[in-house]
Amino acid sequence: MSKSALTLKNVFAGYGGGMVLQGLDLEVRTGSITCIVGPNGAGKSTVFRVISGLLKASEGDVLLAGQSIKTLSPAEILHSGVTQVPQTRALFPEMSVKENILMGGYLIRKNQKLLKERMAMVEEMIPIVRERASQPAGHLSGGQRRMVEIARTLILDPSLILMDEPSLGLDPKSVALVAELIQRMTKDGRTVLLIEQNVRLGMYLANDGVVMEAGKVRISAPAKDIAGDPEVASMYLGKTKK
Amino acid sequence: MKSLRFTKANKIGAIFWAILIFIPLLLPDSQYEQSLLIVCFLFAIMASGWNILSGLAGYVSLGHSVFLGIGMYTGAILGRETGVFTFYFAPVGMLAAMAFALLLGSITLRTRSHAFVIITIAILLSVQLLATNWVELTGGSNGIIFRSPSWARTAGNTPYYYMFLVVLILTVFLVRFIMNARLGAGFVSIRDDESKAASIGINTTQYKVIAYCLSAAPYGLAGAIYSQYLGFLNPTGSFSILISVYLVLAALVGGKGTLWGPVFGGFFIALANEASTVFSGGISARVLIMGVVLVLTVMFVPQGLLVSVGTMLKKRLAKDKTVEFINQAAIAERDAPLNLSNVKRAPSASKADSSESILQVTDVYKSFGGVKAVNGVTMDVKRGSITGLIGPNGSGKTTLFNCITGTYGADSGIVVFNGTDITKMQPWTRAHLGMGRTFQITKLFKSMSVLDNLVAPLEKPSARNMLANRMQGEEVERAREILDFMGLSSFEKSNVSALSFGQQKLVEFAQILMLRPDIVMLDEPASGINPTLIERLSKAIKKLNEAGTTFLIVEHNIPLVLELCDYIHVLSAGEIMVSGTPEEVRNNEAVIEAYLGPDTLLEGLDV
Repeated sequence: MSKSALTLKNVFAGYGGGMVLQGLDLEVRTGSITCIVGPNGAGKSTVFRVISGLLKASEGDVLLAGQSIKTLSPAEILHSGVTQVPQTRALFPEMSVKENILMGGYLIRKNQKLLKERMAMVEEMIPIVRERASQPAGHLSGGQRRMVEIARTLILDPSLILMDEPSLGLDPKSVALVAELIQRMTKDGRTVLLIEQNVRLGMYLANDGVVMEAGKVRISAPAKDIAGDPEVASMYLGKTKK
Repeated sequence: MKSLRFTKANKIGAIFWAILIFIPLLLPDSQYEQSLLIVCFLFAIMASGWNILSGLAGYVSLGHSVFLGIGMYTGAILGRETGVFTFYFAPVGMLAAMAFALLLGSITLRTRSHAFVIITIAILLSVQLLATNWVELTGGSNGIIFRSPSWARTAGNTPYYYMFLVVLILTVFLVRFIMNARLGAGFVSIRDDESKAASIGINTTQYKVIAYCLSAAPYGLAGAIYSQYLGFLNPTGSFSILISVYLVLAALVGGKGTLWGPVFGGFFIALANEASTVFSGGISARVLIMGVVLVLTVMFVPQGLLVSVGTMLKKRLAKDKTVEFINQAAIAERDAPLNLSNVKRAPSASKADSSESILQVTDVYKSFGGVKAVNGVTMDVKRGSITGLIGPNGSGKTTLFNCITGTYGADSGIVVFNGTDITKMQPWTRAHLGMGRTFQITKLFKSMSVLDNLVAPLEKPSARNMLANRMQGEEVERAREILDFMGLSSFEKSNVSALSFGQQKLVEFAQILMLRPDIVMLDEPASGINPTLIERLSKAIKKLNEAGTTFLIVEHNIPLVLELCDYIHVLSAGEIMVSGTPEEVRNNEAVIEAYLGPDTLLEGLDV
């Protein structure tokens, strides 16, 4: 399947202080891990806000598996199978791990049978969900929290998962565990679009790489090419690359 | 642009005052209109006063009319005893209201919770009870009646009109002064993030009490005049919960936290109140109408009418504005000069300069419930070093930071900084002593611009410093230079919430340099920052370190830690596992096992 899971066409969007995205074109292949890198403030997180419907594009179009989702509300977009793991802490610290995940399944709360099935699926994929089910999420370490955040989006069985800096604030060991989980998620056909500041990690994980600069896509290429691209290195990686 | 807008606002303000001053002169027969405007003035005064505490500092009071009652009774009782008119005692009423606020505030504002809202209502009701029952002093529920001045027949309401107008003008200028002063910036920083405010040298308890006193002052002044204007007073009328609700409504309708919003809202509510009496009659209709106003405000103009209209206009103007993007390459290359006296204290300021360690942590414990987050840490940071603090997620690094900076008190143990035992000190005192820290997830003041955030820290807690204009003078120059050094100049006027996470990290680093810290504690400075800027950051750290600033850094970016640090402490499960040079730590079996993980996990990736 080389169909595209998500296409952004000439998207302009901004917050009232001017356009942050200035004619962005992006294509994400179904079943791929696509990683967006780029300077701070280039508009990476804004791309996610446009996809998830929190910010409306003022020009251009957003297509999910060929269908335009540009005018849908955030809830409708969630229904169509797009979920997001946010950048900074988003679990409810007083709730247990299980309750947190059930909150993620709010949309399917009326279908208890489906909810149970999904829970079983998530537990199998991410064992910590079963092991720590009744512990308050606030007691988990950073790496464990990230796993639960991912579990919480998986309960909706999304086709496209947006992840904003999954490695942020994690120790090296946890980064490795989260990286492994991300790769495992795409094995059954899900698509992952992620933002990473850690370019080497991002390109190691991803099939496709996208370099953004000043609200536009500058380079779009297979991940392994981007990691070695001298232009990227000079523009973005700094000179420490050995 | 900014100064242009100010002058425009000033012009509108001057016209507004001029119209109000000339109304009685040009329309001598306007007794009804004047009495109506007097109520407008009173509401505007109260809403503006309330705005100081609740709009700027964010502590909502629902019983603020207690201070009007205090002013009324102070004037009335002194008037009765001396036989002169109550309005002569307006300044005394003001002092009484402020003294009462000082007393209450010192008790209730030590805490930091929503309990304050409930307490304010309780205070209002208890003072009302006191006024009813302390008959010898207050006349009980019969109240006090005054004789009218002899000019009342000929001059009517006009003298009162001018008295209230003067109080209103004074109040608006007071609020304006506060908003322009660093004091006001301190109030707003408390509203936005109180624990952050404490960590940058703002004595939050003191600030809140000051805000409470200042917000009570106009009430006391107006109250003493108001009692004479009414001709009588009684406990239920003077300490009315309904007035407290109206004045909150007024501030919300106009726009709390702004200069003119509460004034506008005060006029709006007073006129709406009058209209509902005239056109529909009956107190229940009035309550219904006010309820509808509240619902509409919250639904459609949650920030207040004036603010919403302003935002709409601004949005229209900003349509063609271009967005600033960071120019990565230019920043990395660029080597902005930094005047070290801008970020460093004079050597004499830090005492015990000779001692080898700047920070000593001895046997510190901190647990939350059953979780021992920090379990007996003894650690030493050498003066002039860059010391790393690494360890797995959940090993207690941030908790240890919080114990050192005073965000939490440690359960036991001692923290010595620059030769002073700071274990029991408040966070702001530690900041004044030269300790600066950033947060893992940035804590910037969301309602402020980048520059405002930079001038918010209070390096020295002098009254002169607090009252100084925050947008003029040496502090602003210093802030600009530090922003330039960090490559953030083009964002000076941007609101921080418009910045990306990585940019916010850099702003926070710049912000704490304003404290001229001896030690800079950075909590994951490089996370969420792209490689080019990490390089810039590391350059900045090295440059400051060469000049003598000590760094204590929590960071997961191991290559960066190894490159920067002279010495590293490894924390695991709340205890120091290993301390040593970067070389020793990297090759330590236990560290690899607990933290770094086997190399095979992410072969070839220097994450």
